[in-house]
Amino acid sequence: MNDQLAQGIVTKDHRETEFRRELRRAVRVMIEARWPVLALVILLATAVAAAFGPALAPFDPNRQNLVLRLADPLSSGPDGSVFWLGSDVLGRDVLTRLLYGARISLLVGIAAIVVGGTIGIVAGLLSGYFGGWVDDVIMRLGDIQLAFPFILLAIMFLVVLGSGIWNLILVLGVGQWVTYARIVRADTLSLREKEFVEAARALGDSTTSIIFRTILPNILAPLTVIASFNVASVILSEAALSFLGLGVPPSVPTWGSMLAESRDTLVANKWWLAVFPGVAIVLTVLSFNILGDWLRDFLDPRLRERT
Amino acid sequence: MNLRTLVARAGGVALFCLTVIVTACSQQPEDAIVVGLSADITTFEPGMISSRDNANIARHIFAGLFSLTSEGDHVPDLAHTLEISDDGTAYVYTLREGLTCHDGESLTAEDVAYTFNRIADPENRFTGNSPGFVFTSIGFQDAVALDDLRVQINLARKNPIAFGLITEIYIHCKDAYEAMTLDEAASNPIGSGSYRLASWTRGSEVVLEKTREPGNFQRIVWRIIPEASTRTAELISGNADIITNVVPEQVEAINGSGRAEVQVVSGTRRMYLGFSLSEGSRQMPGGEAIQDPRVRRALQYAVDVPTICRQLLSVECERATGLVNPPNDHPDLEPYPYDPSTAELLLDEAGWSRGSDGIRFAIRLQAGRARYVNDVNIVLAISQYLQDVGLDVEVDLMEWASVYTPLLHARSMGPLFFLGTGGGLWSPIYDMTDMAEVGSSTNYTHWDDDRWFSRWVDLAEASTPEETRSIIDEMLQVFYDDGPWLHLYFQPDFYGVSTRIDWTARRDERVFLFEAGLK
Repeated sequence: MNDQLAQGIVTKDHRETEFRRELRRAVRVMIEARWPVLALVILLATAVAAAFGPALAPFDPNRQNLVLRLADPLSSGPDGSVFWLGSDVLGRDVLTRLLYGARISLLVGIAAIVVGGTIGIVAGLLSGYFGGWVDDVIMRLGDIQLAFPFILLAIMFLVVLGSGIWNLILVLGVGQWVTYARIVRADTLSLREKEFVEAARALGDSTTSIIFRTILPNILAPLTVIASFNVASVILSEAALSFLGLGVPPSVPTWGSMLAESRDTLVANKWWLAVFPGVAIVLTVLSFNILGDWLRDFLDPRLRERT
Repeated sequence: MNLRTLVARAGGVALFCLTVIVTACSQQPEDAIVVGLSADITTFEPGMISSRDNANIARHIFAGLFSLTSEGDHVPDLAHTLEISDDGTAYVYTLREGLTCHDGESLTAEDVAYTFNRIADPENRFTGNSPGFVFTSIGFQDAVALDDLRVQINLARKNPIAFGLITEIYIHCKDAYEAMTLDEAASNPIGSGSYRLASWTRGSEVVLEKTREPGNFQRIVWRIIPEASTRTAELISGNADIITNVVPEQVEAINGSGRAEVQVVSGTRRMYLGFSLSEGSRQMPGGEAIQDPRVRRALQYAVDVPTICRQLLSVECERATGLVNPPNDHPDLEPYPYDPSTAELLLDEAGWSRGSDGIRFAIRLQAGRARYVNDVNIVLAISQYLQDVGLDVEVDLMEWASVYTPLLHARSMGPLFFLGTGGGLWSPIYDMTDMAEVGSSTNYTHWDDDRWFSRWVDLAEASTPEETRSIIDEMLQVFYDDGPWLHLYFQPDFYGVSTRIDWTARRDERVFLFEAGLK
């Protein structure tokens, strides 16, 4: 008994040591690569803006002031308040809306990945583990969905369901599940024949336990990489749908809708209305992509030896 | 000459050639004119046409018995004379000889009678401007061909503006339309006007070809360009000759381009926020509150219309006092001032005090996108003003042609909706005719105040201009006090016109190109 306990403690200590070593390696590799550090800083800044937007924002994001519309960046209002990034066509502060927009972009990006990832992982696990008609049905459903251009599908759903943040998350999430399902299915197909799965089966573990406690933890690493790339593409899709007026209601500031609102004033040289939300989208998406790239390299066993 | 100089010169020449080619490519042919519209069109069925853009195209395909000039005069078109019976209920038109429809069929009095009776036929369930607005207003009974050239239109009652309203009917030929289903008729118009439909790519463009005079261009291309910046870019690049609904922020860019200029005209379209008083709307948030005329009156004080005009339309405007265009409006009514304190006081008195969250009641505000000048921003600005006096406004912006227009046709609007309705200057009664009956297709509000609707009989029977004016003013007072509109403004219209085109915009939004030409 004492031996077993000691062995357990040693195992736990060993895992903690292993984790610390991996963390140190991750930090070292990231610093050496440089760009991922910058990407992480940008994403952390975006996350802070999203989390503390209301506290940081100088104005109410929907507060209009028609008399102060289209104010240049750094211009002041009559009460001394400064529009750091200018005001929009309705006199709303661009900086404030940008901060609130970060909240929507990140929320939609991450929540949609959670929705799509959950559906895709479960579908992929079932498809790969059981095979046969379950596999056929799930994969054909995926094929059918992939046959439709995603934006068209999203527009169709949003027209039926109505616009709104939760509908948007649902639509964008559902649009992502096939990617996860296919990757999980492929990994499950190979893992289900491995010895440790056979062992779990021989020990009498239930099918649910084998799928979710034995196989799933072993395929999470590539999914993390996919998710990091997907967040970027979902943020872009949200921006595109908001640009088309199908995203969230007009009272909710998003980067995509801010960009859409800037269309009419671009020819009038009101550049700040398009540039700031555009830059925010580009930086966030780029950061997620750079981080995804780095994560992929970091988790790749072939590259691990080099680092 | 060294290599660098040679390359630089060759590059310069290539760039110049490219510019010339691109410029040449973007010039329209001399026999064609291209108009960029902001809203899509939905039908060419004469009984279903209702929007102004749709009507503008249709008027080139279908002629009327008489037509309305930009000066507000009615002049002969297919008909050359009109006789009205003493009791004012029979209108006899005499057609010009030798008229034909686009398929070559002779256009006779029988075709004109068929046109009127077909549009009025309840089996067809038409809901356009002709049956829903014109016929309900004039009390249309039936039309009878007296001989080949004379047709008699019978009305239920005398109506002082029936003559003007009848000009709005799109005349078409019997044989052609009897041979088509309603669906076929909606997309294959066989008209009586100067132009015939050559092609229609839904959501994209309509091409018309000239068949007879008047008209200076062989082809008219109507392109649907919902996005304002794209319309402007197309105008400046020479891909469009005329564009409608120029966004005020883009006026400077167009005028500075040297290729086009913006014509700003004081339009006759009445812009308003409608209070929908239907039973369906009553069940929605805010629907109950606006049933009370005191609430509607309170909200009149909540919106700063002159500031909206100045900031979002780049014009100074006087707020409307009703549904009649000046100078035909009620001379003694003052526009509601912007006075949020009064609005709050009246809302309190009406029993809608602010709750602990500062909200009096929630309400939905519906609007179409890209139909009117700067409409989205104006709707958002109005919602802000309403929020300032304690309303929780949910703004619902919809695609115009496929989502908002069907709601309008079905008169199924939510409690608050933003809309503009075309008006005229030739008679105050014309503007009031939107509310000719409770069930008029243009009474989107379902307003049913007897103090208004019972007066139409008095108006028809008035024997002197003074008596007519007095009744009109009494009706307008009711509309001002307890009406179903939150009065906004008469829309200024912004047209971008290429410098190669000789065309003058009208105040009544009719984009008629019969007299347009090259400079």
